[in-house]
Amino acid sequence: MTFRILNLIVIGILILAAAYVYRIKFDSTVQAERLAKIRSEVRRARDSIAELRAEWTQLDNPARIEGLTKRYLQLKPITPAQFDSLDKLPERPPQFFKLDSPDPIGAAIEKLEEPDTTGSLAAPAAPSAGHDSPVDDSAPTANPDQ
Amino acid sequence: MARWRRFMLRLLYDNKIDRAAKARARIGLAILLFAAIYSIIALRLVIFAAASDGRNPHRAVTGDAIATARPDILDRNGEILATDVRVPSLYAEPRRLIDVDEAVELLTADLPDLDATESRERLSSKRGFVWLKRDITPEQQREIYRQGLPGIGFLNENKRAYPNGPEVSHVIGHVNIDNQGIAGMEKWLDGHGLAALHMAGLATDRLQNPVQLAVDLRVQHALRDELVAAHTKFKTLAAAGLVLDVRTGEIIAMVSEPDYDPNNPHEALDPTRINRLTTGVFEMGSTFKAFTIAMALDSGKVTLKSSFDAHGPMHVGRFQIHDFEPENRMLTIPEIFTYSSNIGAARTALAMGVDAHKAFLKKLGQLDRLRTELPESAEPIVPRHWGELNTITIAFGHGLSVAPLQALMGVGALMNGGFLIPPTFLKRTEEEARALGKRVIKPETSEMMRYLMRLNVEKGTARKADIPGYYIGGKTGTADKVVNGHYSKSSVLTDFMAVIPADKPRYLLLIMLDDPKASPETHGFKTSGWNAVPVGGAVVARIAPLLGVEPRLDLPDADHLILASMKESR
Repeated sequence: MTFRILNLIVIGILILAAAYVYRIKFDSTVQAERLAKIRSEVRRARDSIAELRAEWTQLDNPARIEGLTKRYLQLKPITPAQFDSLDKLPERPPQFFKLDSPDPIGAAIEKLEEPDTTGSLAAPAAPSAGHDSPVDDSAPTANPDQ
Repeated sequence: MARWRRFMLRLLYDNKIDRAAKARARIGLAILLFAAIYSIIALRLVIFAAASDGRNPHRAVTGDAIATARPDILDRNGEILATDVRVPSLYAEPRRLIDVDEAVELLTADLPDLDATESRERLSSKRGFVWLKRDITPEQQREIYRQGLPGIGFLNENKRAYPNGPEVSHVIGHVNIDNQGIAGMEKWLDGHGLAALHMAGLATDRLQNPVQLAVDLRVQHALRDELVAAHTKFKTLAAAGLVLDVRTGEIIAMVSEPDYDPNNPHEALDPTRINRLTTGVFEMGSTFKAFTIAMALDSGKVTLKSSFDAHGPMHVGRFQIHDFEPENRMLTIPEIFTYSSNIGAARTALAMGVDAHKAFLKKLGQLDRLRTELPESAEPIVPRHWGELNTITIAFGHGLSVAPLQALMGVGALMNGGFLIPPTFLKRTEEEARALGKRVIKPETSEMMRYLMRLNVEKGTARKADIPGYYIGGKTGTADKVVNGHYSKSSVLTDFMAVIPADKPRYLLLIMLDDPKASPETHGFKTSGWNAVPVGGAVVARIAPLLGVEPRLDLPDADHLILASMKESR
């Protein structure tokens, strides 16, 4: 009797196991198919990227750009006279107000009212680019040397 | 062991060996055997179930990849020079075809350039597979697909595309219809492992690392543009140019006009379209005087103040040597260089001796075949018996034919401080170049040579190349061409080698024009100073900003800048 029950249990387990294995197998097939599809999509995308890059290079070709430039733009090749070095840059114009002060306009007016220390002429109304005017050291400067 | 055996015997046969026990033992053995076999089968089933999940990757690629993939070729800034694109190709399976005539009729309607008789022949054959047309457009593919002919199909193939057309043709070369490299860097790629990959069927993927060359596409274009202009302006047979980085030996640009479009490789078969810079050998003319003078200065027996007799003509055996513009007096070394005196150069070389001359040129690599990555190379034509007369003519660039790239490598060594660096088409760092290079002349000699090169642009034959701001130094050369075994009086080969900038050399430029014609614009002259030099100047003005050479407008002349710094350092 016990032998029969044991047999039935074993058969039941066997059927369950078979069903489970079948499900796993089926899922894995579905996954594998998805993988293959994605792979071929990736390949196609890569191919079209290559094609577009080739086309872009063709459009970006210097000879073509030069032809278009000559036809539509008034650009000219760079001449050596158009280059200069940084140390030949003129001095930065003096800073008349502090950027971080609560009342920048008031500070600028105060600065203007101070007597000009270098020139004998009266200080101009507008801030001039005088190269020897005092530069406010505390103000943030964009001098590349510092 | 004996105890174990006795135990087993007792277990199997009891103490007495009788038939029943024997039979039981046999059945037990059979059970064991079958159990083993079934467990092996079960195990195999598990293995198959597990393995079949990972699909064979090649199964997805059917309908693909007959011609194999190649890595992309990029220029030094990453611009694409050569890449693979997928193109459909049309094939047929004649056995599955129902009506040959209908198929041919419909196909020729869509593909007008398809040969009807040949296609009919192919389709009527009993073969399983025939190509009808390689490389069709996607529109044609769509049209044919819509006709729904049985037994007609498409395969996607890799096709090499050269988006820049003829721009870099001689450097990269081209491939045949099966995507195998047959010239230029494409062939080099095949020789370096790609062919083996193809053989194993592994090179079907796009994931190969691209190959980066030393060539700069922008510089290449500027050089080619100027050379094409010179080619028509001076009605030359050919025009060639090269830009070399003197510190690394990298070839930044190489143009040999007329060139060809690698997308249309038939053009490459035309012998006038060969690459003259590596495959041709030429007598370079007066640019060789740079070697003569460098040899004299490097020996220490001659200084910049030494002078040689340049009374002409010079008689050697039954030959006479003339100067183009005779001075008929004693000339100093800088004068010999800037007046480009043949007699002066010949006497300088003679003073050094024939053996020293030969050894010096050998040291500078002018007598051996120069090999680069390109499969094409040419052996220099060296005189078999090198006598005094040979030394005299070779001193001013006749009687020894070398590949222009080879001559440029030698001049590069004279400019860069004395290191002979083999030129390369691949990217190379300065450290790698220094490890490869070998010292051939003293650094002081190199400095003196740069002084002479600059002086020649300020006062000598290369005045038309003095683009302000780039401090160009240069040497011109005009060689009579050999026509039917004799030096021609009417056709010449002119060249110009320029170093930019002369005080801190970075790049070396070569311009070579084959048989330029005189024109009213050149006042009837066809020497280098009237054609190759102005072309060189125009090229420098265009490429120097691209190469990042900083223009300096307020430099003193060669006497004060290079010569003075030499004296200071001593």
